[in-house]
Amino acid sequence: MATVVSGVVMFENPEITQSGLPQADAVNWLGMDRNFLRRLMTQAAIGLVFVIIGVASLPMIFNVAFADGNVEIGFAFLWLIIPFIGIPLFVWPAISVPRIAYAIRDKDILYKSGVFWQTVTVIPFNRIQHVEKSSTPLDRRFDIATLQLFTAGGSGGDLKIPGLSAQTAENLRVFIIGKVGSSIEHH
Amino acid sequence: MSTTDTGKWRHTSPLAAIFYFGKIYQDIAKNAVQSLAPLFAFLVAYQGDLMGKIIFGGGTFIAATVVLSVLRYWFFRYKIADDSILIREGVIRKTQLDIKFDRIQAINTQQSIIYRAFDLVTVKFDTAGSAKQEGHLPAIKTALADSLKERIRRESRGREILLDSEDKDEAPPTDKTILQLDAGDMLRIGLSSNRALVFLVFLGPVIESLSQDIEENIDESAVASAIEAGQFSLSSGLGFGLMIVFGFLTFMVFASIIGAFLRYHNYVLVSGSGVLRSTGGLLTRHEHSVNFAKIQSVFATQTPALRLFGRLRLRVNQASSGRPGHSRHFVIPLCETDQLPSIAEDIFGDEFQSADLNPRTGDYTRISPRYMRSRIILTGVLPALAVTGLILLIGGLYALILLLWIPMNALLVWTVYKKYGFRVAQDGMMLRRGFLGYRVVAFVHRKVQRISVTQTIPQKRKGLATLRIYLASGSIKLPYIDFEMAKQLRDYVLYKVESSQLAWH
Repeated sequence: MATVVSGVVMFENPEITQSGLPQADAVNWLGMDRNFLRRLMTQAAIGLVFVIIGVASLPMIFNVAFADGNVEIGFAFLWLIIPFIGIPLFVWPAISVPRIAYAIRDKDILYKSGVFWQTVTVIPFNRIQHVEKSSTPLDRRFDIATLQLFTAGGSGGDLKIPGLSAQTAENLRVFIIGKVGSSIEHH
Repeated sequence: MSTTDTGKWRHTSPLAAIFYFGKIYQDIAKNAVQSLAPLFAFLVAYQGDLMGKIIFGGGTFIAATVVLSVLRYWFFRYKIADDSILIREGVIRKTQLDIKFDRIQAINTQQSIIYRAFDLVTVKFDTAGSAKQEGHLPAIKTALADSLKERIRRESRGREILLDSEDKDEAPPTDKTILQLDAGDMLRIGLSSNRALVFLVFLGPVIESLSQDIEENIDESAVASAIEAGQFSLSSGLGFGLMIVFGFLTFMVFASIIGAFLRYHNYVLVSGSGVLRSTGGLLTRHEHSVNFAKIQSVFATQTPALRLFGRLRLRVNQASSGRPGHSRHFVIPLCETDQLPSIAEDIFGDEFQSADLNPRTGDYTRISPRYMRSRIILTGVLPALAVTGLILLIGGLYALILLLWIPMNALLVWTVYKKYGFRVAQDGMMLRRGFLGYRVVAFVHRKVQRISVTQTIPQKRKGLATLRIYLASGSIKLPYIDFEMAKQLRDYVLYKVESSQLAWH
């Protein structure tokens, strides 16, 4: 095993502007599957339907509960909630999804996301413990899957890549597992 | 070695029942309500006078736990196979545990005085897997425990030989004593423990006001006549309250000193065969060990009290199992500043020669002062304004006092900012933080698990970023550093991780 750095003269704060280092930004970012946005919109629509049903049924429930016939509680103001909930529900995915992207390099995987907090996370393949692919029924309807990568000491959650096409997710899973297996480690 | 007497299912010593007896009460202490509910129900059902109830109930309970302890001992069998230790246990719910020797990170032992008299010891296996895989071998012969230890040591040494593939036939490594603690150190540990500090700083005033409450209540009710009789004056009442507070504080400090003696008496830290090992304890002797190769990061903490004594506390972190409360730490309760370099050398070896755990030496790169601005706004100004506004509406102008939080918070933030810094060396990194004291975290670049760079919108405008480094033992944050530097640091650490062929655990 060629140990890469050993017995080097010790020194503090070396200049780390080694231009020779591969840079994590100079990569080809891949976006999410086109169906992902549609899938999120569908979810938003379903959510909105539930909100509307809730708002519509609330006066009925109340007026049945206090069924004197005399008391009519007004719930018209509740309808104002709907645009407040509905608009962000549909607008947010349209803003956030285009900012999600991933990239695969020879030795690691990169993932970026975030609108207000823009984060780029890198996981080296030789630190991945296991890979999980999952999809909800709604995901499957749109042929979408989520890939989760686990590293040791999973504090703060592991890397989750949502919105991959089922085929891409499966290919990635196989590819990453292969990479994890081939990185030689002693136990 | 006698670990070769394999292949047979065996009992441990019957004294293992003592271990289970203690464990039952420990578990009860942990979740008191649920476990005592049946007893309570029984007591209510049982007819008789109160005293009889208590005696009968208590007696039954103790008898039941004794029986359970004996049963647990009876159903516990273990077998030492070629490559693993098998444990079968459980009175009602049977479990079988298969602990592979090469998954055992370290062996920790505990020896109470009773066990010491019978030359027995309780062994706890520290495995790399989940917390479920943690097994106990209660009350086995010391010789067996030693041979198990030797075996684990050989396993890990075997691994190291694989890595180096040279110097295979060296002389058997000898243990090197790193540090020993004496009675004076026990006092220092006790006096500088968090408990003592917490009570002095925070709970002191609370207890004082509590005792004042008690005093007022006393004034109003039963003792009113006594006051009228002139036996109680206000000042003597105050003095009484102060005495309670003082007594309580002294008690707490004493308790933590006694705790230090119980846990760390005759503490010895040795290193050898790739293992860092500590023994100590007055009644129950604890032996803990950690494999150097498994160490993920090291914390060096210096509280103001420790600073006063010129000492530090170290914590060596292994990979956490991801379950809270199951973290595996190896604590070095006290060491002198001059001992730090040699300890760091022992822990990190050649791999991180410039490791420096002393918070007061070296050039730490500061984070951007912008950090203060965001902290002051988020934790100071906004909450203060919101709460003040709210209380102004309900209460009155007194609410404006709350605005004092803003300068106070600013002061706190400034203190934190002043101490926040990091040092990047060739092979590893050190991060310093602190508020009243200091804490330095040191780790080797190649042990990093994943890494992320985050920018908020204001950070983006100023070319700053927050770098977060995830280790198997937890994450480390470098907030508000230069964006370019964050990226370079990330790329450098990644290069170290990805070009390393060594196992991180």
